[in-house]
Amino acid sequence: MAKQTFHSATLDNGIVLLGEDLPGLESVAIAFHVPAGAINDPVGGSGLAALSGEMMLRGAGDRSGRRIVDDLEGAGVQWSQGVTTTHGSFSGGMVARQLPTVLPIYADILRRPLLDADELEKARQVVLQNLAGIEDDPSHLTISTLRRLIYPAPWGMPAEGLTPDVERLSIDAVRAFVAGNVQPQGTIIAVAGRIDWADFVRRVEALLGDWEAARGSDVVTHDRGPRVEHVPHDSQQTHIALAWSLPPYRDDASYDVNAALAILGGGSSSRLFTEVRERRGLCYSVSAGYHTHRDFASAVCYAGTTAARAQETLDVMLAEIKRLPGSIDQGELDRVKARAKSGLVMQQESSAARAGGIARQWYHLGRVRSLEEELQRLDALSVDSIERRLADYPVADLTVVSLGSAALEVPDAVSA
Amino acid sequence: MQFLRETLDNGLEVVAECSEGAVSTSVGFFVGAGARDESEALSGVSHFLEHMTFKGTANLSADEINRRFDQMGASANAFTSEEDTVYYAAVLPTHQDDAVDLLGRMMRPALREEDFDTEKLVILEEIRMYDDQPPFGADDRCRAAFFRGHPLARSVLGSVESIEQLSVTAMRAYHRQRYAPGNLVLAASGAVDFPALVESAKRLCGEWEPGTSADRRQSSAGLPAASTTERIVRPAAALEYVIRMSAGPSADDEARWAAKMLAIVLGDDSGSRLYWELVDSGAAEHASVHHHDFLDAGLFGTQLSCDAEDAEPLMEQILDIYRAAAAGGITRDEWERARNKLSSRVVLAGERPRRRLFAVGLEWAHERVYRSVTDDLQIVESITLDGLHDVLARWPLDGPAATVFAGPGEASLSGSATPH
Repeated sequence: MAKQTFHSATLDNGIVLLGEDLPGLESVAIAFHVPAGAINDPVGGSGLAALSGEMMLRGAGDRSGRRIVDDLEGAGVQWSQGVTTTHGSFSGGMVARQLPTVLPIYADILRRPLLDADELEKARQVVLQNLAGIEDDPSHLTISTLRRLIYPAPWGMPAEGLTPDVERLSIDAVRAFVAGNVQPQGTIIAVAGRIDWADFVRRVEALLGDWEAARGSDVVTHDRGPRVEHVPHDSQQTHIALAWSLPPYRDDASYDVNAALAILGGGSSSRLFTEVRERRGLCYSVSAGYHTHRDFASAVCYAGTTAARAQETLDVMLAEIKRLPGSIDQGELDRVKARAKSGLVMQQESSAARAGGIARQWYHLGRVRSLEEELQRLDALSVDSIERRLADYPVADLTVVSLGSAALEVPDAVSA
Repeated sequence: MQFLRETLDNGLEVVAECSEGAVSTSVGFFVGAGARDESEALSGVSHFLEHMTFKGTANLSADEINRRFDQMGASANAFTSEEDTVYYAAVLPTHQDDAVDLLGRMMRPALREEDFDTEKLVILEEIRMYDDQPPFGADDRCRAAFFRGHPLARSVLGSVESIEQLSVTAMRAYHRQRYAPGNLVLAASGAVDFPALVESAKRLCGEWEPGTSADRRQSSAGLPAASTTERIVRPAAALEYVIRMSAGPSADDEARWAAKMLAIVLGDDSGSRLYWELVDSGAAEHASVHHHDFLDAGLFGTQLSCDAEDAEPLMEQILDIYRAAAAGGITRDEWERARNKLSSRVVLAGERPRRRLFAVGLEWAHERVYRSVTDDLQIVESITLDGLHDVLARWPLDGPAATVFAGPGEASLSGSATPH
């Protein structure tokens, strides 16, 4: 395996630049993450980050919205724009030689968006259409409801916003949001693939080095939602999602709890897959996974099944969750390690995956872990270490969401 | 990058694209078995069989298969389409033999009755899951209408009824026929040890009874026979989903490359004519057109999702966009941008051994040809603006088509209304 090389630099105005060389690739992927995510939406103004992101692409500097897309695509860039809980993101994958052509376009989008009032209604319609599409996606809706319950607002709010809020947003709100939050402090720019690091830093410095910091809007944390919720939905299947709190990614315990969740529902030999799907044929999709913010995280289990068999599915899932502590076996752990290691190594084949990965690590940890360190941490996992963490972080206050024709019975106290 | 191939005595083809320096190895079996090979009574058997293949062999339980894939850290799965069933695993190179060994054994599954009965429940859940999701079955219905009377009319998943009445005996017979060595390709990509791959293939598959399948091509000329419009009513849906299929060049037609580029100009997910007129304006949630090719047929599939009351006017607007393209042509700028997009996609996709596996395996299974990333780039470079205009003239996008609306819209169209 070729040696892994990371780079990082911080500009005077606070922008963090990250890079990873991926030898053998022709491509480069770049991701701009600005601290303008859904947590920065004002109360009652959800969707402002999403609308602002959409507006930023509709003209910047001397370029019209059409020119921006034509220029990116003319350079063969596979671009995307989106909003997460914490960031507004603009990313692109391309053949490496195009990067110098493309950087000034992104600099315009970040620093000189026109935020033209004439574009507002079109942009609002795009956000509203996206929300309507989500209404038709039962599993997305289920997980999004679960996040609103398990995390305190605004951390659990859907990044795309809520329809009644989006309908009210004004151009002034968009302009104030962009002026306050799209700024160098807290911005991470990650690049991976065939890169020339020195040249990249020099170009970004020239384009963004004199970008001035703004204040940024405060993030006010509110209470979390109720513990159990049923969402009525006209569907043949009932969708079930369960969650409980766990330490976040930056906590050393996250490797152990992640491994425990992978044993529970991570692969085709996992317990949920075996007991719910393979043995009983209760559903097509069933899984367990780990979802993290910087300060809190949760375990999320999901299954979709016919209404008539939903209660049995929930009961089997709960039984497997309850059985987990004290029952981890070495073979299961070995399989989880093998899958995680192989996943880490294969990420080296994707510039987009690595650009996203190093930016995420920087956001959570303030540094990037090398492949070697990640592999060492996986090697260090043991049945004992996982069992200790499961004892430290017992399953408590389970949050349960069902979506479908009928509500399910949720036992009152579910803890290990 | 080096392409290597070998044919076993019983007809099984082994092919590999070997890239030095790749960190992973992908291997897969490509089986010529899909919805088009089924009869009405067997509808859904190819896909059901794909699931059953993971349920074990005479000497291997389902749990053992799942555990072995996880033990080697494999990213393993399978999919079934109208024409193919594909089983694959991406692993670190040290696990190549393990992965081929397991996949090879799986090609001769036990097909036990008790597993069949349990897995039937999973298949029924999968059917219901897709039926609850956009486009609410409009894609299957549209293909059925477009290909009426042609094998490609069949649904990959089958229906609740066809799956419920399917027997394990019928599946065993289907397996014997479609999984004969002459109908299989073992393909690999990435860091491949080719001599070891051939060794594994001989050991695992060498004893399989030779057999092959008849040519599956059947003329699709003149499809669709007539324009049809149908509606699936889902009162609770938030948006209306529309699928429209009109004729396009098939996989054995050189014009298919130009058709794909034309689709990028007209209806790519971003930066296309449909995007600027319908999506950027916020009129539609999604509007696109893509070219799909099959062994003996091709089509342009238009997809639209939008508010129900806008669906019909927006479909009209899309047809106007197609007519304007046929009358006024494609600009040089559009053609150049589409070329750049397509070239870039070829290069980026070419970096992932997993993506290359599907290209190498399917091209060999269908056409017995190998095209490297460089070959693909040369094809993209060779597509002319005239080539795009030629496709517009030969396969008019506003021509005869099958159209299906699915969503809350009223049943006001000429087609038959369908209860939920």
